[in-house]
Amino acid sequence: MRILIIEDDVEAGAAMARGLAEAGHETVHAPDGVQGLKAATDGEFDVLVVDRMMPNMDGLTMVSNLRREGDQTPVLFLSALGEIHDRVTGLKAGGDDYLVKPYALVELVARVEALARRRETGAVQTTLRVGDLEMDLIGRTVHREGTEIDLQPREFQLLEYLMRNAGQPVTRTMLLEKVWEYHFDPQTNVIDVHVSRLRSKIDKGFERPMLQTVRGSGYRLDA
Amino acid sequence: MRLPGLLRTTPFRLTLLFLALFAAAAAAFLLYIYEVTVGEVSRFADAGILREMQSLQTVYSAGGDEALKASLIDRNESGRPYFYLLLDGKGQRIWGTISHSPTGQFTDRDTAWMYFDVNGKISGRRLARGERQRLPGGEVLFVGADFSEAQDYIVKIVQALWGAGALIVLLGLGGGLIVSRNVSRSIAGLNAVVAAVQDGDLEARVELRGAKDEFEELAVGLNDMLDRLERSIGSLRHAGDAIAHDLRSPLSRLRARLEVALLEVETGKGDPKEALAQALEDTEGVLRTFSAVLAIARLQAAGSAPDQKPFDPGGLAADMVELYEPVCEARDLEFQAEIARGLSVRGNREFIAQALSNILDNAVKYTPAGGAVMLRVRRRSSGDVEFSVTDTGPGVPEADRARVVERFVRLENSRNLPGAGLGLSLVAAVAEAHGGMLEVDEGPGMFSGKGPGLRVALVLPRAG
Repeated sequence: MRILIIEDDVEAGAAMARGLAEAGHETVHAPDGVQGLKAATDGEFDVLVVDRMMPNMDGLTMVSNLRREGDQTPVLFLSALGEIHDRVTGLKAGGDDYLVKPYALVELVARVEALARRRETGAVQTTLRVGDLEMDLIGRTVHREGTEIDLQPREFQLLEYLMRNAGQPVTRTMLLEKVWEYHFDPQTNVIDVHVSRLRSKIDKGFERPMLQTVRGSGYRLDA
Repeated sequence: MRLPGLLRTTPFRLTLLFLALFAAAAAAFLLYIYEVTVGEVSRFADAGILREMQSLQTVYSAGGDEALKASLIDRNESGRPYFYLLLDGKGQRIWGTISHSPTGQFTDRDTAWMYFDVNGKISGRRLARGERQRLPGGEVLFVGADFSEAQDYIVKIVQALWGAGALIVLLGLGGGLIVSRNVSRSIAGLNAVVAAVQDGDLEARVELRGAKDEFEELAVGLNDMLDRLERSIGSLRHAGDAIAHDLRSPLSRLRARLEVALLEVETGKGDPKEALAQALEDTEGVLRTFSAVLAIARLQAAGSAPDQKPFDPGGLAADMVELYEPVCEARDLEFQAEIARGLSVRGNREFIAQALSNILDNAVKYTPAGGAVMLRVRRRSSGDVEFSVTDTGPGVPEADRARVVERFVRLENSRNLPGAGLGLSLVAAVAEAHGGMLEVDEGPGMFSGKGPGLRVALVLPRAG
């Protein structure tokens, strides 16, 4: 994947580039909004990582301009402003996801990959298939090797998110934000318990476990 | 006595202005009184003199100066209260009760009013009033009236009027001074407190006098404001100290681990990877503490939660049940919910969700396996909406209940559990930012050696 990092903090940008390179992605760095806009318009990128506050042109303006030109490249905003209304303004300006500083590198990589993935599977789907796991989005049913698996509505949403990001790690924060729509971290391991419940439903009685725990970051659904 | 300063105060200037207006009005009023009293007395006397003069002229027309002289003598004898003087054409006295004409200023006019001194029959100089007329035969007739008794009366009235005027000015000035001194004293008290606060003394307060005037109101308002300011500065200072204290130990640990890791990499022994992983975990804890403190500080600074909208508290509680039910089951806790439907409350759903999550986290953390946690949403009789979480854990001793809400306060028996002691502080901040409150009290009580449990309630004021 080609990722454009638009961040005025050079050191932070370099760390991001290292982390993304480690995950096998190619990165380009732009130090401010004006150069970032130019780079984004000129080159082909899968995801843009944009710092909200930058000299010359701030991230919000930059992304608004980009969207006005019809560019739909997914944007991940990075910001030290983490209040709900800050997120909302970020998403309204055309951002697709919002990550509050300071963040863990694995979190950044997971979110960038999820954004790129979402773009790949842009068309409206009625079924999701990962390995021998099949999800009917209209009938709201899940089958593994032909056996129907009975899921609660939230478990269904959780599995849907994992299936849409199959093969890539998703973090607990991502699950909490995208599945439960909360932007805070509970002190107890509520997400882990939900995931292990889901795991017991989709993996129990099957030879090969699909839902993996990724040490230090979260979970991954493997085909 | 701060008199020179007092003379420059706004109240005193206002007093002078009002005094001037008042004095002008009083002067007009006193002038009117003078007119109706003194004026009336002289008009009355003048009318008598005029009548006497007309009557004498009639006598003269009928019988000439001899008849007039006879009539004058007759009138004087009969005790009429007038002075008479009749002069011939050359100014020689024919007859009269006074020796000579009082003044010589009448040559041009036949009639004049004047004051003159009386001597002769009545000794001494007395104020009188008279009229002189030249008769058709060239003689001059003078008729006057003793004014001395009326004069005493007039003098008294004039004195009374001057006295009243002086009294008005004195009372006005004195009253004004007293009023402005009181006002200045109140203002000076307020100013002294403001100056003290400017100099950094946040404990200065205005002394209340118990009066129910607007100065007292201002003083009470100022005191309240200072109380609030002192509290928030105190809590910020406390937060600063607490952050420094709480971040210092994990930061020192982090530093030590990194040093060890560096040493190990350099010497090629040990496992630097593990040290790094631990360092990362420590960083995570520091950041988490920092975020929580920041969230609380922002809520407190803003005063009220942003983006407040009406929402269904039952729906939020149901979401929380869904989120926490599995973790309770995994820890062998019975999780019950009692949710009233159809309620509405106004607030920031995300903050309230976080507050509930913090309360539930505590319940899950501190309740031993085999216990129970209950989430309840109900409308109080006051109309307020109450979210409450009751557990069967060890609870909090009554003496510590107020304290657990403070930042970084962790009770002895919880030190070995994860957490920074900020959970309930955030709940309290969320409650305050919604005009609500946080209640901490005892749970269901002791039961087979467990308990007494804890009940934490987040109460939000009713919508609208």
